Amino acid sequence: MPSLKDLKTRINSVKSTQKITSAMKMVAAAKLRRAQDSAEKGRPYADRMQKIVNSLASKADPTSAPQLLVGNGKDNTHLLVVMSADRGLCGGFNGSITRQARNEVTRLRGEGKTVKLLMVGRKSADALRRELGDAYIDSLEGIQGTAVQYADAASIGETVRNGFEAGEFDVCTLIFNKFKSAISQEVTLKRLIPAEIGEDTQDDDAGVAYEYEPDEEELLAAVLPRNISTQVYSALLESSAAELAARMTAMDNATRNAGDLIERLTLVYNRTRQATITKELIEIISGAEAV
Amino acid sequence: MAETTQLELVTPANIMVQKPVQMVVAPGSEGLFGVLPRHAPLLSDLTRGIVEVHENGSVASRIMIDGGLADVSGESVTILTERAEDLGSADRDAIKARAEEASGAEADFLNAVLAAL
Repeated sequence: MPSLKDLKTRINSVKSTQKITSAMKMVAAAKLRRAQDSAEKGRPYADRMQKIVNSLASKADPTSAPQLLVGNGKDNTHLLVVMSADRGLCGGFNGSITRQARNEVTRLRGEGKTVKLLMVGRKSADALRRELGDAYIDSLEGIQGTAVQYADAASIGETVRNGFEAGEFDVCTLIFNKFKSAISQEVTLKRLIPAEIGEDTQDDDAGVAYEYEPDEEELLAAVLPRNISTQVYSALLESSAAELAARMTAMDNATRNAGDLIERLTLVYNRTRQATITKELIEIISGAEAV
Repeated sequence: MAETTQLELVTPANIMVQKPVQMVVAPGSEGLFGVLPRHAPLLSDLTRGIVEVHENGSVASRIMIDGGLADVSGESVTILTERAEDLGSADRDAIKARAEEASGAEADFLNAVLAAL
């Protein structure tokens, strides 16, 4: 049976933990609103870019199209760009990304492919460093947060592009958490190289004869690198929003659990106090009877 | 009211301009081009330069862009650019301060904006 003093200390410690988790929850909620906002503001650019790529790609000649679009014909070395958070305390957010990355690596290695990893965010990079550290080509930190900079996405895009042009890998895939709603995130794999072309190429401008300036090929060559940076940027925005949402949910649960724990401990504390008083009373009464 | 075309100037961070205008002059990679309503569909690469927005027969605003793409259809002009700065509302000191802080392409662009102001 713990003493009253022990219980009191325990209750106080849980209470201060609860204060921290509820503060973290509120901070995450406030930041989430901003992150969600910028994710939404970033969407039009990505959408329109995708539309242009789709319409260009549907007209490009597959034999002479840029390699960024159709790949270099090989499928031996895969680059995975894994986006996790820099900080923990956000529930299963980092865990699910790490798990997905590990599965993907195992699957690709099982098929006899070489795998390289570009880690964005500290948590997954740390978690996988021991088993897969030799496959890292780089690990980046401090990119995600409330304000994702396009410049950071552009520099990741450039790294990917340069690596591809230097023949370091043949296929590039992004692994990130997609923000679905404040309570759910979805681990998403998105292929960057060769470019993913949407199905809806036959929409409103089908049949419209576009004029191209300069010609299609040159235009495509100019658009594809930008498209990669844009895809990375929108993945970063999604991932940041998802991280904050995950943290908010996790901290909300933690606060609630702390509340339950405090209730239980207070009950034990009161029972113990009552028991002590009863015991003392019995001692006094039986002492008085004995006289 | 004269006929208008819907201009959209979109950067990765936000939609900067979204309004009906009379004419847009954009810096294409093969020279400046003007877009009036009912322009033939055109997809053009853009270089760094100034997008002029014409309303009511005069230049309503001038926006510096750092290259990009223009998607022109009969009813709309969509300009996608990585960086843009409205020269009309730009504050010289603020841009100077940002240019000093920034590096690489960003600083380069901001210096060009300063020069154009």
